[in-house]
Amino acid sequence: MTDQWHESFARLLVERGVAPGEARRLAADSRDEARAAGLPPAELFGPAAAYAAGIARAARPAPLAALPRARGPVVLRLTGVTKRYRRREVLRGVDLTLRAGEVAAVVGANGSGKSTLLDICAGASKATSGLVERTARIGYAPQQHGTAPYLTADEHFRLFGGAHGMGAKRAVATGTHLAAGLGWRPRAGTVAAQLSGGTRQKLNVVLGELHRPDLILLDEPYQGFDQDSYLDLWSQVYAWRDAGAGVLVVTHLLHDLDRVDHVLELKGAEDR
Amino acid sequence: MRQQWLHGFLDLCLLCLLLERRDYGVGLAQRLARSGFGDIPGGTLYPSLLRLEKQSLVRADWAASDVGPRRKYYELTAEGRAAAAERVAVWREFRDVMDRMTAATEVERP
Repeated sequence: MTDQWHESFARLLVERGVAPGEARRLAADSRDEARAAGLPPAELFGPAAAYAAGIARAARPAPLAALPRARGPVVLRLTGVTKRYRRREVLRGVDLTLRAGEVAAVVGANGSGKSTLLDICAGASKATSGLVERTARIGYAPQQHGTAPYLTADEHFRLFGGAHGMGAKRAVATGTHLAAGLGWRPRAGTVAAQLSGGTRQKLNVVLGELHRPDLILLDEPYQGFDQDSYLDLWSQVYAWRDAGAGVLVVTHLLHDLDRVDHVLELKGAEDR
Repeated sequence: MRQQWLHGFLDLCLLCLLLERRDYGVGLAQRLARSGFGDIPGGTLYPSLLRLEKQSLVRADWAASDVGPRRKYYELTAEGRAAAAERVAVWREFRDVMDRMTAATEVERP
């Protein structure tokens, strides 16, 4: 029973992004600590899963200090962007200027065109009218698509890294480090289709940052992400900003928006 | 509500206790309980200690014990002592503001 607790604790730490060596050390520490206290681990620390989450958060390195990028220039400018599907108007006259080192949050009800706007910024969809100007080096982490179901995480890192001229080794190392920052350690042999929705979104986020783009377009996950992962994601967003990237986040939850630089509220088409 | 507040102040409490003297986990839990904080679950205490260790405010060492199993002892680093002093000053300032804020409210006890 006690051994089982320690074994699952060590395994859960690794799943939460702690390096295997350090996870072993922490598990041995907990074993000794429980022995010193003369209590079974479940009584001293509580359930293994909850304790692993707490310890992994405490043990996690600070978000990856990204390489400094040039600060200040405009990385995205939207002028009067409008999108119509047949007669239905999804976006009307959207204006936004986002500079390097700034975060913009896009908020609005379901169906207000948030994801459509993100696609337009990425160039995956065309605005019906208006002007989209942006930097060439973008990272794009959409909600739905973006990963290949039959490739593993490492294969994704190599593929996306290669597309930006990174060596395979560096791409995998950078991807693994970024994943750890989000509390995730990719397992060898597991393909994207086998990942949970929340973990697949972490893969998307990592791929979006892999080549240190000047503009990151992010569709915030709202399914399958637990509270810790959610906070990790936002601390990562601010780390990217501090490193000089411009970040556009489509947010589905009413997150504490005090720290973002711009809030762009989209009104649903039905409001007009 | 108490529990939530304590969560926010646990790091500072630990720094203060360790400023007094080095101690091990169970000893710290007992001293917190004696101070009036009640039982602090290990699931809260140990992550806090690990965080302080990662921030280099606390140094941890396993020490063999004559009587029982080895124990992990925690003590403040120089950085930890400076952080304790700084955070206590911030806390005092904050406490004074809260005292002024709540002074007007005579709490009626049932």
